[in-house]
Amino acid sequence: MDSLTIRNASAMPAPTWSWLKMNSVDIEVPEGLERTCRVEIEASEALTDNMKSFEGALAELQGRQNEARAADSAATDDRAVARAARGADQGAADLDTPALSAYERSAVLSELAGDVARDFETGVGTNARSYLNFLAGGTVVLAAKEGAVEEAAIRVTANAGETSGASIDVVCAPDSELKLTLSLDSDAADPAFVGSTLRIFAGARARVDIVVYVTGSDAVTAVEDSGFVLDEGARVSVRHVVLGGKFTATGLAADLRGDHARIDVDTSYLAGGTEQRDFNYVIRHRGRKTVSNMDANGVLTGTSKKCLRGTIDLIHGAKGAEGNERETVLLASKGVDNKTIPSILCDEDDVAGNHGATIGHVRPEQLFYAACRGLSQEQTEALFLSAKLEEAVLTAPTDEIRTNVVRLGNQIVPNFEEEIA
Amino acid sequence: MMAKNRTEVADIDRSLYDFSYGEEGFERLDAGLTPDIVREISERKNEPAWMLERRLKSLEIYHRTPNPTWGPGIDGLDMDHIVTYVKPNTDQKNDWESVPDDIKNTFERLGIPEAERSYLAGVGAQYDSELVYHNMQDTAAKMGIVYSGIEEALQVPEWEAMIRDKFMTLIPPTDHKFAALHGAVWSGGSFVYVPKGVKLDFPLQSYFRLNAAGAGQFEHTLIIVEDDADLHFIEGCSAPKYNVANLHAGAVELFVGKRAHLRYSTIENWSKNMYNLNTKRARCEEEGEIEWISGSFGSHVGYLYPMSVLSGRKSRSSFTGITFAGAGQNLDTGCKVVLGAPDTTASIETKSISKGGGISTFRSSIVATPAAEGSAASVSCQSLMLDDISRSDTIPAMDIRAKNVDIGHEATIGRIGDDKIFYLMSRGISEEEARTMIVNGFANPVSKELPLEYAIEMNNLIKLEMEGAIG
Repeated sequence: MDSLTIRNASAMPAPTWSWLKMNSVDIEVPEGLERTCRVEIEASEALTDNMKSFEGALAELQGRQNEARAADSAATDDRAVARAARGADQGAADLDTPALSAYERSAVLSELAGDVARDFETGVGTNARSYLNFLAGGTVVLAAKEGAVEEAAIRVTANAGETSGASIDVVCAPDSELKLTLSLDSDAADPAFVGSTLRIFAGARARVDIVVYVTGSDAVTAVEDSGFVLDEGARVSVRHVVLGGKFTATGLAADLRGDHARIDVDTSYLAGGTEQRDFNYVIRHRGRKTVSNMDANGVLTGTSKKCLRGTIDLIHGAKGAEGNERETVLLASKGVDNKTIPSILCDEDDVAGNHGATIGHVRPEQLFYAACRGLSQEQTEALFLSAKLEEAVLTAPTDEIRTNVVRLGNQIVPNFEEEIA
Repeated sequence: MMAKNRTEVADIDRSLYDFSYGEEGFERLDAGLTPDIVREISERKNEPAWMLERRLKSLEIYHRTPNPTWGPGIDGLDMDHIVTYVKPNTDQKNDWESVPDDIKNTFERLGIPEAERSYLAGVGAQYDSELVYHNMQDTAAKMGIVYSGIEEALQVPEWEAMIRDKFMTLIPPTDHKFAALHGAVWSGGSFVYVPKGVKLDFPLQSYFRLNAAGAGQFEHTLIIVEDDADLHFIEGCSAPKYNVANLHAGAVELFVGKRAHLRYSTIENWSKNMYNLNTKRARCEEEGEIEWISGSFGSHVGYLYPMSVLSGRKSRSSFTGITFAGAGQNLDTGCKVVLGAPDTTASIETKSISKGGGISTFRSSIVATPAAEGSAASVSCQSLMLDDISRSDTIPAMDIRAKNVDIGHEATIGRIGDDKIFYLMSRGISEEEARTMIVNGFANPVSKELPLEYAIEMNNLIKLEMEGAIG
């Protein structure tokens, strides 16, 4: 295949100055790769043998939302931002309504429309999802029945010179539980591409735990794209562990549509050499008393680059919602480039939004502690690096993923396998 | 169940600023932007040829540069209907008695002459496109300080050379569309030169009043603080409200020498028909320090992000700002910092309040270049939502390319917490008083940094009148 550039991927909902080059990323798919589909899915028959669809779940949710809105139809939204978005005020009166940005206008119009399907999004975005769907050649649906407890594992690999992608829809019925493991891996010495796009519907009170490991070699491009819709009381936990890959894009968008829905996203990453990590998280709080927590922790070495966009969007009506975001980055080498943009968008007063970021080197007290034990600053920083890998090994959900991490660790840290033995 | 009353916080009382006099005897150029208009502005000012060349070049850049797409809407700003130059019916004076009555009365009502008598070392007052008053105390002049209109300074060979060297180098016309616009049609503003080692104990102040409906104001402020010198400069601005758009696209360029210190305080209170697209930038040499104190209260649309370029080792920057966005306002404010040398430090503390359907956005960038080893920056951003019809966003960006740096960022958005109200009420304070205390306390970190007279003005602007709140 010819080379391909997926433009405007992982775009922030509310952009900032373009000179910072943080609003989105262009993903380069190397030329000359052959389309394959090295995707393995392990799931029970109960998960795969069903007639459920992601669209059907959204339609059912839309129906309930429409009923609730109809009951509340007497109240027309006459907020200044709503009038401005509708263009209701013209001429001089226009100066009495706020002049909305393009993002603010589209956000208010989206909120007024209340269209669940149209609001659905994935973290890396439409262009990447289209490409991944093309690579996958079809979408596999995993559906957990009401009250069921299920597990599934997805492995996407590619050899050198290949592209491989998976497209998965997950529909979890009310009160069901699903543990899903996703591995994007390739030890190719020459360019290769692996990717996945997931749409996940978590029904009322459903529990969904997802663990994603990205362990490509430094010749591999990996794209992990996902979008979530959470119904009332649903709880989703996502752990992203991104350890390898020449270029990786990880994107997650979540629509906390139902009241009391909650999502926790824990991200652990490592980049060395000239590798590049790109993350885009968009959490939309629409339901009341919804909760989100994003926690990212990473180490950058060599001349690697990383960009993390995290957006908590507290939409009008999400009363009692709370969004928290935190990132800690260790810059372990000269020449690294770390970009972070943790945004909070807030269109509701009865909410709490918090974010924090700490970017720096090993703290002086940590260096002192290590120095007392005969370790130089470089050795201490290397210790943090191997600790990140060790943690990934110890918490790997499957033996196969553990093996992938060890393989990667041996390339990064001398005698890594012996160290963790 | 009774509906819960919210704390009512009054809109800013603008009656102090919302008055205007006629334009009898004033000269207006045609609305719109053409090379002929730019040439006429330049000709009227008897500028050197190089300045006209720069103006025309800026105009070209303006026409080919797109509008920003990331910020508040500026569709309502039709440059074909903005008059870029309005000359009041007077030349610049250095005593208030010589200023025409209408203009003098305007500044009297704004309290400028009184402030000059009370605590300022010098004052410049601009009315529409031209300075109408400029004066500095003899003591400051004897210290070698130069404080004049920038156009006046351009007529002095010594200062012309310095201005030519610095003018629009920190804010090049290619920076963004409205920097280019400014470069083409700038008019008025101040030039300040503080010689090496000179420390001025009292502030200088420039006040900008835009009186003409449908006009733009494009003053340029250029301040050079030489090594080991110290200056506090205050900028104020206001305008009466009209039902057509007005535009402010000024530029502020500050050069802070080695071990020098500059505090730049601004109370911005434009009327709610104003598009305030202002650009401010400072560059600090070794151990130099820039302090920005910023209060943004007015304008229909605001784009305002003072930028500090820390190019000298151990140079420092601090930004303390408050933004109050009320009905009809979309204020996009914040700051930018470039850590461009070793051991530089920056601190940013901002507060924003949204009410009555207003929109407040805090936007910032911290860029640490590879040269910034050993540098540190901290950002604290707090936003208070006073009702559920307003909006408040924070969009902070950090681009860190240096090792051994410490960058910290914290932001919170929310309303007044019930637990805080409960705590105060449990100590015998009424709910209304408790809410008043909390909102006042929220704004205090900024107001305490202002000179007393301006802190009072800010309190007057905010007018935090609490009522209701029972339920």
